[in-house]
Amino acid sequence: MSVSRRTFLRSIGAGAAAVTAAREFGFPARAHAQKTLVVCGWGGTTTVAQREVYFRPFEKETGIKIIEATPTNYPKLKAMVDSGNVEWDVVDTADRMIFSGVRENLFEKLDLRALDVKKIDPRYVIDVGVGHKAWSTLLSYSTRKYTSGNNPKTWAEFYDVQKFPAVRCMRAAAFDNLEIALMADGVPFDKIYPIDVDRAFKVMSRIKSHVKVWWSVDAQPVQLLTDGEIDLTTLSAARIIALRDKEGAKADCEWNQGIVHMDWWTVPRGAKNKEGALQFINYVMQAKPQAAMSNQVPFGPTNRDALALLEPTVLKNLPTSPDNLKRQLVSDRNWYAENLTKAEERMKAWLLS
Amino acid sequence: MAPQLRRGGGRFGWLLLPFLALFALLFMVPLVQLAIVSVTDPVPGLSNYTRALTTPVYWKVFTTTFNVAAGVTLVALVLGYPTAYVLATMRGRWVAVLWALVLIPFWTSLLVRTYAWMVILGRRGIVNQVVQGLGLSDGPLDLLFTRFSVTVGMVYILLPFMILCLYAGMRGIDTSLLLAAENLGATPGRAFLRIFVPLSLPGVVSGGLIVFISALGYYITPALLGGRTDMMVALLIDEQISQLFNWGMGASLAFILLFVTLGVFLVANRVVGFDRILGAGREA
Repeated sequence: MSVSRRTFLRSIGAGAAAVTAAREFGFPARAHAQKTLVVCGWGGTTTVAQREVYFRPFEKETGIKIIEATPTNYPKLKAMVDSGNVEWDVVDTADRMIFSGVRENLFEKLDLRALDVKKIDPRYVIDVGVGHKAWSTLLSYSTRKYTSGNNPKTWAEFYDVQKFPAVRCMRAAAFDNLEIALMADGVPFDKIYPIDVDRAFKVMSRIKSHVKVWWSVDAQPVQLLTDGEIDLTTLSAARIIALRDKEGAKADCEWNQGIVHMDWWTVPRGAKNKEGALQFINYVMQAKPQAAMSNQVPFGPTNRDALALLEPTVLKNLPTSPDNLKRQLVSDRNWYAENLTKAEERMKAWLLS
Repeated sequence: MAPQLRRGGGRFGWLLLPFLALFALLFMVPLVQLAIVSVTDPVPGLSNYTRALTTPVYWKVFTTTFNVAAGVTLVALVLGYPTAYVLATMRGRWVAVLWALVLIPFWTSLLVRTYAWMVILGRRGIVNQVVQGLGLSDGPLDLLFTRFSVTVGMVYILLPFMILCLYAGMRGIDTSLLLAAENLGATPGRAFLRIFVPLSLPGVVSGGLIVFISALGYYITPALLGGRTDMMVALLIDEQISQLFNWGMGASLAFILLFVTLGVFLVANRVVGFDRILGAGREA
């Protein structure tokens, strides 16, 4: 990276510092820094639930006040770290970003001795983060169009515009869509990675003109499904299940061939309250808060004891429940570590052509 | 007039200082920094610009942006001209109502107005219900997520700007000239076309410029109402920075848009002249 770029980022940081200073004006600065923790999450229903089951109880137990920031935004994170003025202490980080973040040195190495991870599935403890919520991308449909059982059940059927004429909606992104295209073309789970990108785009070209809306934030398909504007879309399990069970929308989902992802708690390099960050991670990774989270929003917990605390009615909606897991593909963050940017660039060009 | 202004400028020039300081700090400084990013990230040189100008999909986005902006300007002019004419030349209660109709949307949130079109133009929206109710179509019409819906949404938001500019220009027209023309034997229509229309042209150009240039940078409306191929430059810039982490490319696209916009402005200046564009309403 060039010097001028760094200067540029530093000046952004200076602006951020001025804002922070203004916000803290009137407080004894040092005591304030110790007593607050800035947690950056994804916003929407997830943040509402996290506030209730993580932030409030944590504040009560530790006296550390949580300041919420949303949504997770990588260019912003990178600008903060590069400028040395990091506003966030803990960040809810997506799977596909974690290794590119490691490559760009955006995260603190966590002191594993200070972390209480005995009960956490060891696959989800790495040196820069702890995996805390599994979520899935699912084939979702309007029940105005399909009664349950008559819906498309595989991606091959999602791609079959003759047998399933419908108003389709897909994410304007390569991740997930490449895997979906390969599954639609009959590739079994264990042959998906490394992704044959050329083949995936060739398959996607079959359906391109039949997709009415390409969404960029999941609030779009949520709204369009609710309004009956679309019949078929890809959507996260948490969002579609909340729509179905809590908001009574005429929509449902198919677990078959879903794609499971993991989100991680990370600490940005240079975070101001690292100690508080570790305290926070330890607190929310306990079985009870994790289970409470799954009760609010159907995310899969990674603390092994959390599953035992959940009712069967909740379990059946989790991406990581045994029944659901065996029908799904697990997204490979290693592949995305190397290929995400290139794949997304190609996707953008493909969408426009 | 001009020397008078210059003398006043000398004495009261300091009044501009707060504005100039704010302008320098909040606009020029970031702009220069962005310019530096555009020629240094990821490598020094003009590679971002050459890539932006030689990649067909980027050309396509620029073409789309221009076509949409031009279409929106044209439709806004066609709808705005008669409206402004009525507002500028007539009196009475209905004119007050017309003013309210022009201004109330002007004061309403852009996002709300864009969402309103999603509701109106949707598959189950009022337009489709009427069309199907009248038996004009078997299935719902594809109105949303098309160039049509983008144009409708943007015209709706930009129309008040067009009307206000046209109005300012038309208010300055001395209507006794029309009477004089008719006195000399011109039909009302001929007097309108030969006297009123040419005199209203500065207003047309200033309205057209404001709408066209605003439309070039539109983001939310095409994002929400547009389809796959309706992407405009502002969206592309956002995508480059926030999704592809491509700061240099985003910055260079932003500069190309800025230069093009300035170019449009300069051409308008050559054709009509800044004084006439900006001073369209001065006599009013």
